[in-house]
Amino acid sequence: MKKLIILIYTLTFLSMSLLNAQDAKEIVNNSTKAIMSDAMEMTSTLKIYDNKGNVRTRQVKNTTKKFGDATKTMIKFLSPADVQGTGMLIYDYEEKDDDMWVYLPSLKKTRRIVSSEKSSSFMGSEFSNSDMSKPKMSDYEYKLLGTETINGKEYYKIESTCKSPEIETSENFKRKIAYIEKVTYLPYKTETYDKDNKLIKTITMTDYRKQTNGKYMAYKMVAENNKNGRKSEIIITSFVTTSSLEENYFSTSNLEK
Amino acid sequence: MINKLLNKPYRYFLIVIPVLLFVGFLIPLRNAKINPDLTRYLPQDTESKLNLEKIEETFGHNDPIIIIFESDDILNKSSLEKISAIQDSLTDSPVFSDVISIFATKNIRGDEGFMLVDPAIKSIPENDKEKEELRQEIKNNPLAYKLLISEDFRYAVMIINPEKGHSDSEIVSKTKETINKIWGSEKYYMSGMLYLREEIQQKAMRDLMILMPLALLVMILFLYFSFREKRGVVLPMLVVIISTGVSMGLMPLLGYEFSIIAVLVPILMISVANNYGVHIVSKYQELNAANPNDNMDALVTKSMKSVANPVLLTGLTTIAGVLGLIVHIMLPAKQTGIVCSIGIALALILSLYFLPAILIGMKKGKINKSFKENAKTFIDKLLVKAAHISVNKPKNVIIIFSLIFAISVIGIFRLNVSINNEKMMSKSHDIRKSTKIINEHFGGTKYISVLFEGDIKDPAVISEMDELEQLLKSKKQTGSVNSLSSIIKIMSKALNDVDDVAYNKIPDSREAIAQYIEFYNMSGDPEDFEKFVDFNYTQAVVSVQFRAENIKEFNSIILEIQQFCDKSEYAKYQAGISIVEKDMAMSIINGQIYSLALAMITIIILLWIIFKSFRTGLLGTVPLIFTITCNFGLMGWAGIELDIATSLLSSIAIGIGVDYTIHLFWRIKSEIENGKNITEAINICLTTTGRGIAINAISVILGFSVLFLSGILILKTFAFLIIFSLLLCLICALVLVPSILKIYPNIIAKKN
Repeated sequence: MKKLIILIYTLTFLSMSLLNAQDAKEIVNNSTKAIMSDAMEMTSTLKIYDNKGNVRTRQVKNTTKKFGDATKTMIKFLSPADVQGTGMLIYDYEEKDDDMWVYLPSLKKTRRIVSSEKSSSFMGSEFSNSDMSKPKMSDYEYKLLGTETINGKEYYKIESTCKSPEIETSENFKRKIAYIEKVTYLPYKTETYDKDNKLIKTITMTDYRKQTNGKYMAYKMVAENNKNGRKSEIIITSFVTTSSLEENYFSTSNLEK
Repeated sequence: MINKLLNKPYRYFLIVIPVLLFVGFLIPLRNAKINPDLTRYLPQDTESKLNLEKIEETFGHNDPIIIIFESDDILNKSSLEKISAIQDSLTDSPVFSDVISIFATKNIRGDEGFMLVDPAIKSIPENDKEKEELRQEIKNNPLAYKLLISEDFRYAVMIINPEKGHSDSEIVSKTKETINKIWGSEKYYMSGMLYLREEIQQKAMRDLMILMPLALLVMILFLYFSFREKRGVVLPMLVVIISTGVSMGLMPLLGYEFSIIAVLVPILMISVANNYGVHIVSKYQELNAANPNDNMDALVTKSMKSVANPVLLTGLTTIAGVLGLIVHIMLPAKQTGIVCSIGIALALILSLYFLPAILIGMKKGKINKSFKENAKTFIDKLLVKAAHISVNKPKNVIIIFSLIFAISVIGIFRLNVSINNEKMMSKSHDIRKSTKIINEHFGGTKYISVLFEGDIKDPAVISEMDELEQLLKSKKQTGSVNSLSSIIKIMSKALNDVDDVAYNKIPDSREAIAQYIEFYNMSGDPEDFEKFVDFNYTQAVVSVQFRAENIKEFNSIILEIQQFCDKSEYAKYQAGISIVEKDMAMSIINGQIYSLALAMITIIILLWIIFKSFRTGLLGTVPLIFTITCNFGLMGWAGIELDIATSLLSSIAIGIGVDYTIHLFWRIKSEIENGKNITEAINICLTTTGRGIAINAISVILGFSVLFLSGILILKTFAFLIIFSLLLCLICALVLVPSILKIYPNIIAKKN
């Protein structure tokens, strides 16, 4: 009898934790569905603050669309004046190294960049490149830590932990905790922790606006670096989902225009 | 007064109070703070310090540990794997902020329409072919070749910057632990200011703490050998131990930190504090031999009556001399002056009250054989010889001393101020070897930053930075010069083909420079720039790495940069720890010169008052000037460089030299007043008072010779210079001063 009770308990516990894991992954999936867009064109202002409050402001136009296994991105500087027209074209492949071209208007020339190193920083800001792209679900273990109420809204607290030390090294963190709103599945905040379990970065996403395709986009994103006291923010000034863009838009000749 | 206090009820207090005092003062030593960074004590308005602080505020504090790995071929698979593992392990540790090695540097280059950005080592070569390809790649990589990998591929450098808030010892031990675990038994060398500080702090201080008690033991043995009585040992040593202990305990009590300068405290105390006791015991023995029927009461009272005055005067003049340190520019030197004066005052009081209080309660001792006919000890024979020379050949003595003095003066002109603190360690020490390797195979151990101000993206500013870079690179001492302009040039090579006009050039438009930088920010690590330019692009530094064996070579680079700054519109000033350290060495040395001068004047005045004769005052400084001149002269001839520690040792000469002279003057004067002629007075003085002086000097000399056992060069140098000073003071007291008095007896004896 005793053994049976233990068995029931164990089974219940196991199924609960399985359910838990399932829940966590599903919440993340729902969240990704709620915000992700495969094709978009946006203009944004990137502000990079140092720890003394000095600021660098850049205006950038950013176009992205996925073609087959490649996500193609075109970045163009609109301001400040001295870098206006500087552009970058990136083909981000799922399996192989990225292809990358840069156009410097002062040299009037496009140069192909071959880099085995992915810069960890997004355009010199506190956002990392992986913050700006869709995470590979299979790289992480997900766990629902519970719920928390912030400003009257209830959020799931989802922990994602890197599955292997290699992933840890390449992503430069050990685990993240995401706060996902219960009703809309929109992420509000992500906390990034390093190997020593120290909080290294907090990203908050606010000003969500519904797009024509029914998905949401955060118009304001702030990344705070807890290690060096720096802060960066991206404010989207215009945003359109552009499913009609042709693949030849993402070409080096277009980069030079 | 003294006699009254020696009566029974008071006597016990005189014994118990000092012992309690000693124990009480040892307690605060547990909270003693050690401060390895002397530069903090430099006056706030020191220009080099201000400049460095300004640069560090923008570009970060830079005090790394430098590791040099040695291997037959550093590109061997196992060596590279280990260096990579060490790089990873140290980077992961919370103790370190960043680690620079061949595995953390890039290879940026251009090739037919491409720009390639790779890690300097993409993958560790598996076979000889890959290894040779990598070798070629590194040879073409200006960010790695001769900077992180030596020309002959035998050495690799790793620069480890610690995170703020960790102690030197934690940083050093964590580094060593990681490297020893991974690198194994292969050779590696450690370097860097931080490591040197830690080595001096830990090893030199530890050796000193172990060897000091041993020095005391040697002194005890010698005193016993000389006095042949336990009281001759116990009493002076008790005074030394109590007063040294109290002065050390005073430091934390007064809130002073221990620094390398504070090492002077125990050394000075041990040298000086037993002076007084030895003279009292010596006098007691002298009287015991002369008056065998007197009881202890009478003997002690008579001894005190006869020596108390000269002892008091020697104590007071020594205190005055040591207080000369108070005008020193460096706070720790001032503090040393204060603590030592209090310590010496205590030693004086103990010798005058505590010591006779114990002595009086003892049984009467046997008559020392020094005072029996035909049974003279070695010291006694030496003293007789000294008296003989002084009395019979005083002119020869003066000629010989003058010659030595002249040679020493020439030596002083050869004296160099040390700019390489690693020379405090012996040639076989890690840090000397690593310095040699860095000087021979990498850019050198000296770093200086030159600050530029203006619109940094302006081609005029960048071009001027490039101009300075080329100018410095043309000097043979320069190892490497790095700045934003060098990165821009590397990028111009990567972004353009060899036949392009813009190849290997600073672009001539502001836009082009801004785009190069923006582009680097997008594709590289923006932190790479932070070492060279501030966030708003209004300040930038050119960082120069160079070799300097001596202060001349050092100054030649500094001067070159200074001249450039003077005529430049954008280059403002230069700064670096090595400049601050040089300034600090200079201010300690200059401060010491002022202190010595002040001490000298005070002593002249005191002697003038005591002996009521200005000429006596002047003669009293002759042994001091002679000793200090010979001390610095010998350093000049022996190539011992003047640094913080060696310059301060000259204070010892003041402390001891004046004591010997006063005892000598006092006795000769009183013998002459008793109707003796100068020859008789010298003979009596040297064999009696001279005995006390010799016993005292030789015991301290033997005591400090223990420091030769230390493996640390700076302590050996210490010992050598202290012994040399003591020996000179002794010879001056026993030969030079009596010889001068023989020729000019009027200096001390008034004409009747």
